[in-house]
Amino acid sequence: MSMASNADQFKQSFREEAREVLVDLEAALLELNNHAGDPELVGRVFRGLHTIKGSGAMFGFEELAAFTHNLETAFDEVRNGRLAIGSELIDLTLAALDRIRAMLEEGASGTAAADEAACTRILTQVRRLTGVKAGTAERRPGAEMAAPTVALAAAGGPLREWSIRFAPGPDLMLNGTDPLLLLGELKQLGGLSVKASMAAVPPLAELDPERCYVAWEMVLLTEAGPDAIRDVFIFVEDHCELTIEPLIDPALKPASGAASDFALAPTADLIARALDDPRSQGGGRRTYDRPDSASSLRVPAAKLDQFVDLVGELVTVQARLSELAARRDDPEIAEVSEEIERLTSSLRENSMNIRMLPIRGTFEKFRRLVHDLARDLGKDVELTIEGADTELDKTVIDQLGDPLMHLIRNSMDHGIEPAELRAARGKRSTATIHLSARHSGASVLIGVSDDGGGIDAEAVRSRAVEKGLVDADAQLNEAEIFALLFQPGFSTAKQVTDVSGRGVGMDVVRQRVDSLRGAIDVASKPGAGTSVTLRLPLTLAIIDGLLVSVGDACFVLPLANTLECIELTSADIERANGKHVADVRGVVVPYIRLREHFNIRTPRPEIEQIMLVETEGGRYGFVVDRVLGNCQTVIKNLGRFYRHVQVVSGATILGNGTVALILDPERLASDAVRLGRQGRRAHPAAHPAAHPAVGAAPGGRRESARTNAI
Amino acid sequence: MPVTLEENDALSRIRLEGAIDIGCAAELKTLLVQALNSGKEVRLAIDGATHLDVTAIQLLWAAGQAAARSGAGFALGGPMPEGIAADLREAGFDRFPVPECAT
Repeated sequence: MSMASNADQFKQSFREEAREVLVDLEAALLELNNHAGDPELVGRVFRGLHTIKGSGAMFGFEELAAFTHNLETAFDEVRNGRLAIGSELIDLTLAALDRIRAMLEEGASGTAAADEAACTRILTQVRRLTGVKAGTAERRPGAEMAAPTVALAAAGGPLREWSIRFAPGPDLMLNGTDPLLLLGELKQLGGLSVKASMAAVPPLAELDPERCYVAWEMVLLTEAGPDAIRDVFIFVEDHCELTIEPLIDPALKPASGAASDFALAPTADLIARALDDPRSQGGGRRTYDRPDSASSLRVPAAKLDQFVDLVGELVTVQARLSELAARRDDPEIAEVSEEIERLTSSLRENSMNIRMLPIRGTFEKFRRLVHDLARDLGKDVELTIEGADTELDKTVIDQLGDPLMHLIRNSMDHGIEPAELRAARGKRSTATIHLSARHSGASVLIGVSDDGGGIDAEAVRSRAVEKGLVDADAQLNEAEIFALLFQPGFSTAKQVTDVSGRGVGMDVVRQRVDSLRGAIDVASKPGAGTSVTLRLPLTLAIIDGLLVSVGDACFVLPLANTLECIELTSADIERANGKHVADVRGVVVPYIRLREHFNIRTPRPEIEQIMLVETEGGRYGFVVDRVLGNCQTVIKNLGRFYRHVQVVSGATILGNGTVALILDPERLASDAVRLGRQGRRAHPAAHPAAHPAVGAAPGGRRESARTNAI
Repeated sequence: MPVTLEENDALSRIRLEGAIDIGCAAELKTLLVQALNSGKEVRLAIDGATHLDVTAIQLLWAAGQAAARSGAGFALGGPMPEGIAADLREAGFDRFPVPECAT
């Protein structure tokens, strides 16, 4: 690889890492809003800014580093108790983070320099707060890197000696970091004595020339505290072994004298002690070389997608092999087939796990949105988050941002009442937007709820009639009325604001959720708030399924939803007086006959099977002819012609080359409920149980709207 | 090229020029191995070098160890720039990793 492409790669790595640091910085700043002066949060912000500044300068982002330096200075002042943290500094820093983000993107796209006017405006205000003159804050980043922490050294703490052991990770230099620069930076903190250790350098023949094997034992005499020392290593800390320990009782040392005047008298002994430390006797092997060492790789998402696609192809071919092995009575082929099935299953599980990400990052991004919107709307709103560690497929997460943003904007603008109205209703002055995530079978439920005024169902209905979406005399229940909110162009807002009211947002939510094969539930109580729940598939790629057949047709049920299988005989049907309900150990469970639902015209067998599945609406049974067994199911999209098919989430190719439809138990159950209701309305007196499951729907289900579509 | 190998009947001379860093570490290792395996005396010329990074220092150190073990002659064959000496001291190396030529 050429040096130029190496440099590009380093810059790209820096951009990716800096984006992550920015997300964390933003979260820490917003938390500071509620916990002003929390030293841990202030330290987090300082370290984040220091990382961006230091790495930025190292990778050639000089403007970015110089800009960030001013903010770092401000937070150093906060950290040292010389500047109080307030909403002004927080807002300024948030605005500065936007500029840093823009500088990163401009660097990536090769466009012109950052918006200088905006940067200057922010810096002027920051300097006003910190009392730093422009000339001193605008040092060139190169000079800045050479002496970045002098201010820390002059922090005025007691003069102490520290033993520092620094063993860089083997790939430190490959990542573009020169450990000697860090030693130079450390030297700026005080008197430094350094000894390089070559104990881990392997013989020449085994030495990887681009890895770093040298470690350093150092003694530093400084007034700076351990945090300031650690800050020198802040952007390599995850990739090195670092120990910082005090060596001498500070009471024995005078607390005066500039660090630079210090003579290194006692250090030879101290280094000898440090070198005797058992940690330095590693036999030439570091923790990074241990097989169980925890490390991570940054891989482009496209490569991962390609990998999962290939695993999908492998799963399909493996199904063909299993089918072939079942037809041939050859124990050797059967053995190989079983082994490949086992390995494929393990490979599939591992590859899918790689794509699973916690939703935390997506949720945390909205703290900033809520903060900014609350300020713009003049409302006091806090965001609470639950289940941020819930994992789901990266593809799904990538598409969640827009719908959640629209739901939050809508809640903030229309849901949450003005302060005076909240006071009149006896509500807490601070309103709450609650984001939640949890797993439910093969789905994940993402909730956005608020404690605002709730939805006025009658107003929604009137507006729908006005817009010609429903007839004036239409009989709609609350769930059906709420579903109207997601119609294109529908809005009950009396005023279009900058935030919402054009009736576009909710339509976007529906479209995106539809494209993810998800569903939306709305529950609302006037005066108490609204809760919108998005039910989304955990993954869009490969799932564990249960293969069932009805007549000649095969279907796949997601294994995560299935509970058990019970037999259904003619005697059972007679006992239930023709009603579509089964007695499962004393509990009545409604069932849906797939033969009837899909209009399959083959005679039913004497004994059928009921697959019991768990849905959000309760427990249901699906009656099939036979249960064929487990199968790894590669989900194939059905294409746009079938986008209105409500109950099928995709298709898969079986080992014998035939296609099986993948059923969505949630939609199938809700579809049966809907058909049953329609049937009852059409024939209230003579409804012979076209979908009797409806009549026996499990109790306790809240009134809600669910929109479904392929 | 910052790293070159010159050979005659009796001597292999590795010459380092300019900044010797991770970009030429692989080449330096190849030439060090080749020179040490040649059975000839090996001399290192660094008078034209301006900077040695950690990868270069550890390669030279490992080559010095390998030469000592095998009895091969490996030494510094010329003056050492003061800048390099200062850099090494700053980085905690108390001496240059390759011995000076006795003759």
